[in-house]
Amino acid sequence: MNAWVKSLLAALAITVASALLPAVAQNNNFFPTKEAVQEEKLLNALKPGERISGRISIPDEKAANLIQPEGREWRLFHQEKLPVIAGVALLGMLLALTIFYLVRGRIRIDHGFSGKTITRFASLDRFTHWLTAGCFMVLALSGLNVSIGRMVILPLFGPETFAMLTGYGKLAHNYLAFPFMVGVVLMFVLWIRDNIPNALDLEWIKQGGGLFSKGKHPPAKRFNAGQKVVFWLVMGGGVVMSASGWFLLFPYMAENGVTSMQFWTTIHAVLAVIFIAAMLAHAYIGSVGMEGAFDAMGTGEVDLNWAKEHHSLWVAEEQAKAPKVAPAE
Amino acid sequence: MARVKFLCDADRCIECNACVTACKNEHEVPWGINRRRVVTINDGKPGERSVSMACMHCTDAPCAAVCPVSCFYTTADAVVLHSKDLCIGCGYCFYACPFGAPQYPKVGNFGSRGKMDKCTYCAGGPEDDFSTAEFEKYGRNRLAEGKLPLCAEMCSTKSLLAGDGDIIASIYKERVMKRGYGSGAWGWKTAYRETVAV
Amino acid sequence: MLTKRREATAGRARLQGIAAGLASGVLDRRSFLRRSGLAAGGVAALGSLSLGAVRRAEAGPVVAGVKSEIKRNICTHCSVGCSVIAEVQNGVWVGQEPAFDSPINRGSHCAKGAAVRELVHGDRRLKYPMKLVNGEWTRVSWDQAIGEIGDKMNEIRAKSGADSVYLLGSAKFSNEGAYLFRKFGAFWGTNSIDHQARICHSTTVAGVANTWGYGAQTNSYNDIRNSKTIIFMGSNAAEAHPVSLQHVLSGKEMNRANMIVLDPRFTRTAAHATEFVRIRSGTDIAVIWGMMWHIFQNGWEDKAFIQSRVVGMDLVRAEVAKWNPEEVERVTGVPGAQLRKVAETFAKERPSTFIWCMGGTQHTVGTANVRAYCNLLLATGNVGVYGGGANIFRGHCNVQGATDMGLDITSLPLYYGLVEGAWKHWARVWEVDYDYLQARFDDVPAKAGRPARTRKENMELPGIPSTRWFDATSFNPDDVDQRDALKAMVIFGHGGNTVPRMPDMIKALEKLELLVVADPHPTTFAAISGRKNGTYLLPICTQFETEGSRTASNRSLQWGEKVVNPIFESKDDYEVIYRLATKLGFADRMFKNIKVANNRPVAEDILREINRGGWSTGYSGQSPERLKAHMMNKDKFDLVTLRAPANTPDVGGDYYGLPWPCWGTPEIKHPGTHTLYNTNLHVKDGGGTFRARFGVVYADKQADGTTKEYNMLAEGSYSKGSELTDGYPEFTFGILKKLGWDKDLTEAELATITKIGGANPDTVGWAIDLSGGIIRVCLDHGVLPYGNAKARATAWNLPDPVPVHREPIYSPRPDLVAKYPTRPDARQFRMANVGFSVQKAAVDKGVAKDFPIILTSGRLVEYEGGGEETRSNRWLAELQQDMFVEVNTADAAARGIVDGSWVWVHGPENAAKARVKALVTDRVGKGVAFMPFHFAGWYQGVDQRGNYPKGTDPIVLGESVNTITTYGYDPVTGMHEGKVTLCQIRAA
Repeated sequence: MNAWVKSLLAALAITVASALLPAVAQNNNFFPTKEAVQEEKLLNALKPGERISGRISIPDEKAANLIQPEGREWRLFHQEKLPVIAGVALLGMLLALTIFYLVRGRIRIDHGFSGKTITRFASLDRFTHWLTAGCFMVLALSGLNVSIGRMVILPLFGPETFAMLTGYGKLAHNYLAFPFMVGVVLMFVLWIRDNIPNALDLEWIKQGGGLFSKGKHPPAKRFNAGQKVVFWLVMGGGVVMSASGWFLLFPYMAENGVTSMQFWTTIHAVLAVIFIAAMLAHAYIGSVGMEGAFDAMGTGEVDLNWAKEHHSLWVAEEQAKAPKVAPAE
Repeated sequence: MARVKFLCDADRCIECNACVTACKNEHEVPWGINRRRVVTINDGKPGERSVSMACMHCTDAPCAAVCPVSCFYTTADAVVLHSKDLCIGCGYCFYACPFGAPQYPKVGNFGSRGKMDKCTYCAGGPEDDFSTAEFEKYGRNRLAEGKLPLCAEMCSTKSLLAGDGDIIASIYKERVMKRGYGSGAWGWKTAYRETVAV
Repeated sequence: MLTKRREATAGRARLQGIAAGLASGVLDRRSFLRRSGLAAGGVAALGSLSLGAVRRAEAGPVVAGVKSEIKRNICTHCSVGCSVIAEVQNGVWVGQEPAFDSPINRGSHCAKGAAVRELVHGDRRLKYPMKLVNGEWTRVSWDQAIGEIGDKMNEIRAKSGADSVYLLGSAKFSNEGAYLFRKFGAFWGTNSIDHQARICHSTTVAGVANTWGYGAQTNSYNDIRNSKTIIFMGSNAAEAHPVSLQHVLSGKEMNRANMIVLDPRFTRTAAHATEFVRIRSGTDIAVIWGMMWHIFQNGWEDKAFIQSRVVGMDLVRAEVAKWNPEEVERVTGVPGAQLRKVAETFAKERPSTFIWCMGGTQHTVGTANVRAYCNLLLATGNVGVYGGGANIFRGHCNVQGATDMGLDITSLPLYYGLVEGAWKHWARVWEVDYDYLQARFDDVPAKAGRPARTRKENMELPGIPSTRWFDATSFNPDDVDQRDALKAMVIFGHGGNTVPRMPDMIKALEKLELLVVADPHPTTFAAISGRKNGTYLLPICTQFETEGSRTASNRSLQWGEKVVNPIFESKDDYEVIYRLATKLGFADRMFKNIKVANNRPVAEDILREINRGGWSTGYSGQSPERLKAHMMNKDKFDLVTLRAPANTPDVGGDYYGLPWPCWGTPEIKHPGTHTLYNTNLHVKDGGGTFRARFGVVYADKQADGTTKEYNMLAEGSYSKGSELTDGYPEFTFGILKKLGWDKDLTEAELATITKIGGANPDTVGWAIDLSGGIIRVCLDHGVLPYGNAKARATAWNLPDPVPVHREPIYSPRPDLVAKYPTRPDARQFRMANVGFSVQKAAVDKGVAKDFPIILTSGRLVEYEGGGEETRSNRWLAELQQDMFVEVNTADAAARGIVDGSWVWVHGPENAAKARVKALVTDRVGKGVAFMPFHFAGWYQGVDQRGNYPKGTDPIVLGESVNTITTYGYDPVTGMHEGKVTLCQIRAA
């Protein structure tokens, strides 16, 4: 607002005030004892998410909340819903993976190891992956510990050791959040190009990625639809986890204090268990679940046969780009 | 055993903040931590009432329920206390507490808020009664000395009552009967799931 | 001065009355007594309580296993007198325990009381004497400081006279400290000695004393438990006297009492009222007259009470008749029907008490306001009864006592005034020559057309009020009615931000040759001006680091034990006053009868001297031994009556703290007086009558040249068990003789009286009888030594004998100024009071248009007074971290101001402005703003933290409201206008 508008408004304000003269006190007669607020009525009138709050002289807005009944809702979520959600998601995923393993077994390379390799992930790619994944594991474990460790781990270690572990866990959680966020950003920059969904993905999905039938491999470029899902899960989850975590790292920056804190912890927790469940699947298929898959992020060099089976189009592209890559015998 | 509670008779509370400074004085509570505070509802309007609030030492305390490290415990007198040695400063108790009781020495500092601090009902902490460690972490242990919380003992208008829940409820009821009005035992429904019906 | 002339007239009329009375052959009992009274009137002029004196406002962390010592003291903040129990380990104050045994606070405290322990730990206290050298604070020794200060005082004395040194004392002194400081003033030779009472209840003391004799709370906090109707007007006791609310709210509940708050602001007190009435600031008289209009109209007044115990109500009635409901609403904004209800309740649902504070007193019409309140009480017969009375809540822990001790420009200790008889009385008590004292005063040469004054005349002339010391410094010396302008300020325990017109004060501060601040904290005085040299800071300890008695608002004295030794290099008031007196060469005379050990005068001895001279106000019976016994037996006193059962050892039958008057010598064991003027009790049980202070007959000159006589003595009313069953004047030896009661005097008493009276012992009045014999005999006969008179509804000696509504100097209603102007310009207290001219100029210039918001001020519960001490207390400072202005929601919306944002408040004088935070609230009505007065350290937007000596700056600093507040002085006491001025508020 430029200066003259401001002064105009100020002048206007004064005129308005002057017009209200004479400044005799209004008829402001009331009966404070009779008209006093009643706690019962205030409580009954509260809508979800509302608090009974007032004025307080100390410069701490959250102190002005007298009673916030949604604390109880949060507790209910945290104590009763969250363990169920976590249990269903994590145990469910483990169960699903176990069944999958029992049914499908380890997905082998149909044509066996060729002995020839192709570079799938350069060192920067691998660094990014493991940075993010490493942080994720610590974050996940410490996060799970904070949420349900008290039921599961505390009885094993006793309160002192458990509190110490949890304390370190919390520290690790808070600090590793930052490299995790860096990792997510790097992944985005490095892999976004190859993760744009396209028509091929539909085909891949139609064929169930060939996961459920031996010897069937739908064509895929660098990343198949399943990996794209993981990518986007990590992106979406990473962003939301980071954002919600940010609010928790810097408490009370949001407008409405404790309510926003409760909201973000809820978001953070629910998403986290889903995220962890998804990552369990990712980890399974990237290691135990599939022969030759781990090398992609291990050495970065994958067996050519594996690559051909799972990323036929990508191998073709790579070989076209750099025929020197595969100097046979 | 008595089941101790707090009751703030808002029709007596004049927001004089004696409870706040008495608490600071008794426990050498540092700047920025307010174990007790007074909130004024409807400030400047006809229905105005001020209420002194601290940890209400809830029945089935939400803080204890949500604490990831189970640092809370309830004494035989029903005082909800916690161990600062176990506390990891996560803030969960603050989210769950209906009364904004938990306080942290650091706010907005990522990494740690420090150990949670809250009203102890002047009952110290898990350390030995009257030990230096107890004093430094939690303040004085008046309960062990046979005294009640200082905030209530020093309340200018005897608005804030502390002691056995049945006794203070009956004092409050008697007042309401005598004077013919009462704006409610603030926080009782939320903390103890009971009201002082008159 | 107008008031003086009036009084002279009154005096002559009385003399004519004497002649007439003597000529008549028949002597009925009443005329005998009247005549005797006249004789007493004569004595008054000579010796005891002069009218002059009356007319003037004389104002009127704990270690386990280490044994804790328990020390008992009294909270040093407001006047309620809450007991403090200190736990001390190894000389360190480690904890505060609730004093459940005190009938006054029953363990309770407010924020301040619950935080007093911090005061003696405070790392922000002044640690050693300091001196300003070329703008730098430099540490000096006590000896150097006292030496240099004394030399400078003597230099100023030689050059400009004793009156050029201003002695500003404190309501934070103990009684003993206040008394010593007053005595110091007498020995130095100036009456310019004052303290905070000037700016809090000077108008109350003047108004109330002029109505019924003593200028103090008539009842007590505890007694409010008996009230059926309680009015608070201009009092926010919930913040200013929180523990009093314990009694008020209990009483309200037990009796289902009406609690009515009349105030411009919906305060925390109002929040607990049964009814709140918002008035326009500064219209108290119109509101009271509006109530009385209904009372008289409907015959709700207490006719029998008025007939027997009140004089001059007819004149009040005439004034009240002008205040019909329409006019009242036009002026005050309060509708008639509402006031009618309030008036009816107050008159009918008795006993009713009326409580007022600064909202009533800090006005140009302060004295008149107070008198209007008294009239309401008198009209409804609510004085001298339990549950009734004028419950004047005083502000500081010992403002009552410091007032009593005469830290006042108009009186020696205990309201003796400044007349010759008063000086001679104290000279006898002090065992010092009257002539020596006289020689200490200046003679004043004729100047600016005013006649010269002899030393004697100067000695009997009131000094300069603390509200205007800076005018006396800045004015041309010709305009200041003394030898020279003010050159030095010696300030003990007084804030520098407590009086309006701070921009003017700062200029004067810079002109002073010497500024001495003796205080636990540097105070605003030390930090606000651009002084470079000649400023000394003397670290004084708090009352927790010394011992002495303090008088609570209800007149109860309580003895404070030393809790810990003075911290750092601080010293107590006694020692510093003694050292200064020694340096100035009069310590041997001044401390002739007071034991001094290690440079410290012994507090008990000081109190004994007060006892020996304090007959007039009944400060004679409270010996240190009796007070200490009370402190050890607090639990024996009843919560409501404040009395201990008769059979209690040591304190049996006493009222708690021996509330004055506690008649006679300690040996006669008068219990003190819980309720003043209570005729339902025997004088030995604390009963009383209205004091006969204003003669026996008052002849009022009428417009037609005739005179109308008023009988000033009570008619048919007397205290229980009185042998005289009608009104009677105050007692002299002569009257005792006439009644044949002189035979009851012991030989020793008689000898003392004869010695005092010399050739004319009959004139020796009760108040100057150092034997206490006259008082003792009076008590034995069930009579009050001070007489039995009527209360004066009309106070003929005051500028407005019947209170008249007058618009504030800066009125928001210029349209009303013509009809209700302030009083004409006049010279008062050695200087011109040009309020009328200022008011006229404000109306002519249209100030109310440019400054459309009424600005009023008041207290916060966390802070007190100038606030330096409380703002340095970390437990309190945390609770109020910013200076603010309360702005009405509508005014804020119109100005685009949001809650918590910065605003500029502009005042109409000196282009003053202050940068503060906006607190947007409906506590204040539309067009009204409120600012607390405890802040300092910022000035017109500039943070002055660097001006404090390192490490002594208060934690919280902020703008002072008195940067904005403006001109205006009560003609009777020089009280400033602290409650109504105008301002403009803009978003910053």
